[in-house]
Amino acid sequence: MLTQYRVRWWTYPVVFGLGFVILAPFAWMVATALMSTSQTLQVPPNLIPSPVTLDGVREVFDRLPFAILLFNTVIVSIGRVVGTLIVCSMAAYALAIIKVPGARAILIVVLVLIMVPSDIFIIPSYSIITWLRLTDTLVALALPSLFDVFGVFLLYQFFRGVPRELIEAARMDGASHLRILVTIVVPVARSGIISLAILTTLAEWKELLWPIVVNRSIEKMTLGPGLALLRGEYTTDWNVLMAAGVLAALPMIVIFLILQKRFIASFARSGLK
Amino acid sequence: MTNTFTLRLRSAEQGTSRGTPWLVSLRWRQASVGYFFLVPLFAGLIVFRFYAFGYNVWLSFTKAGAFGPPRFIGLDNYRRLLSDSQAVIALYNTVKFAAIAVPGVVVVSLLCALLMQYRFRGETAFRAIVFLPAVCLPTAIILVFGWLFQTQYGLVNAAIHAIGATPISWFGNETSVTVVVSIIFVYLSFSVPAIILYAGMQDIPTDVYEAAMLDGAGAMRRFFSITLPLLTPSLFFVILTTTIGTFKLFDAVYLLLPPVEHSVSTNYGMTLVYYYYYLAFFDTGQRGYAAAVSLFLLVLILAASIFLLRLQHRFVHYGEDG
Repeated sequence: MLTQYRVRWWTYPVVFGLGFVILAPFAWMVATALMSTSQTLQVPPNLIPSPVTLDGVREVFDRLPFAILLFNTVIVSIGRVVGTLIVCSMAAYALAIIKVPGARAILIVVLVLIMVPSDIFIIPSYSIITWLRLTDTLVALALPSLFDVFGVFLLYQFFRGVPRELIEAARMDGASHLRILVTIVVPVARSGIISLAILTTLAEWKELLWPIVVNRSIEKMTLGPGLALLRGEYTTDWNVLMAAGVLAALPMIVIFLILQKRFIASFARSGLK
Repeated sequence: MTNTFTLRLRSAEQGTSRGTPWLVSLRWRQASVGYFFLVPLFAGLIVFRFYAFGYNVWLSFTKAGAFGPPRFIGLDNYRRLLSDSQAVIALYNTVKFAAIAVPGVVVVSLLCALLMQYRFRGETAFRAIVFLPAVCLPTAIILVFGWLFQTQYGLVNAAIHAIGATPISWFGNETSVTVVVSIIFVYLSFSVPAIILYAGMQDIPTDVYEAAMLDGAGAMRRFFSITLPLLTPSLFFVILTTTIGTFKLFDAVYLLLPPVEHSVSTNYGMTLVYYYYYLAFFDTGQRGYAAAVSLFLLVLILAASIFLLRLQHRFVHYGEDG
């Protein structure tokens, strides 16, 4: 390790170059957000906004119900995370700890379903949601994604690592399976639970297709598709668009910077073998 | 087995007062609790996967408009699919984006994974930067790229103008749309593969490198003869997931080339997902035909997955004891 990966003269330029390329779009987004509309229409463009103005930011709140969008995103994310954790941890418990007869066959079904993206099913899902009279609701945004086969498999792997003796001892004390799941398995396998929570939250933040299909009114939208609507109506006010982008992206970036280690561990776990 | 041992212990405590064989009844009770725990998952999967799949297949044999019940028309939708030039464009674009973006993601994430192996100053900051695109709202990033590549006032064209070349109408022809969309896709998707490849590199034993160095192998030689072959399991996983990701590409093309009307420029980036979204929800609601297109994409994804899984058996190095 130390000999193979020793810092050489080229390491720093490559790191700086790559870091710059990744950061540049963010920097340009922030810079544009602080410009006035006329500043964005200069040829050649100014890289640094002068004077700095918050007109774009103010305009975002005039044109978008930003607080509602943010609130919706948080509510739907929490609902989806809680629902997914309940469904997946119960199923993973049955497969990894109780080991119900047929667990292997169920796992194979789960693994096959992991390969099939949910985007394939938007047309029938939309029909089902319509039939349930749930279109244009926040519930509709989260409901089809609660039954997350990837989450089942992720937790299955973690639950298998829970020491058998702990569960046997609790059974001897007469604890019910539900009690064992909540008080023993979930705390012991908490890094798996946290990973699934983080990956589910991120998945919700990245949704675009399903929200624009199932919900029409902006009051029932999340941030991503809400921004998309802004794009449709005002194509020329790039400062407003970029200000909205900064505001919408910021919450998750802040959470990421605080929980960086947890996030990176979760990403690594999404690459299950 | 500890399992049967405990069961025996429990039965000793409780006694075998009932007539049924205690072991069987206890096992069955265990199992019934287990199946009960599987109910929420399967209820959801039955509705949103199995029923949805069946319904989708049925819809694909019908003419389903915005109004009225779907009408059975047999294989007409599939016949239409075979002669639909728009579907050919969507298929071509989907495969094209995969062919460009998958190698792009592999190269960029491999570079990031390699750099993360080095212990340089500021590596924590570098790591945070690598993961920024994965935690940022994709809509925001796609819109920034739309702004960067804007024809009149965009930064990219300004830079091209500054070096004396002719600015490009980025969303005005197929090649440039392909370039922009591929760049966005790579930018949005390299982070997670980078950490997966990084973890894979950590698993390669150090002594292999030391032995190679003693034999006089240079750094490049060691990378291509040791790192890459021993990394094939992770590489394979990255290629598979990224391929599926490109096949369902929607957000970038939808945001950059909004479905205004039957515009030419939308065709430059029309993918299969975009096409069936357009058919079912934007156009006059041709849900039956859209269902057929979505099933075609499903077949394509499964075919690509099976093809890659077969390749894996031939090329992936799993080590002697794995």
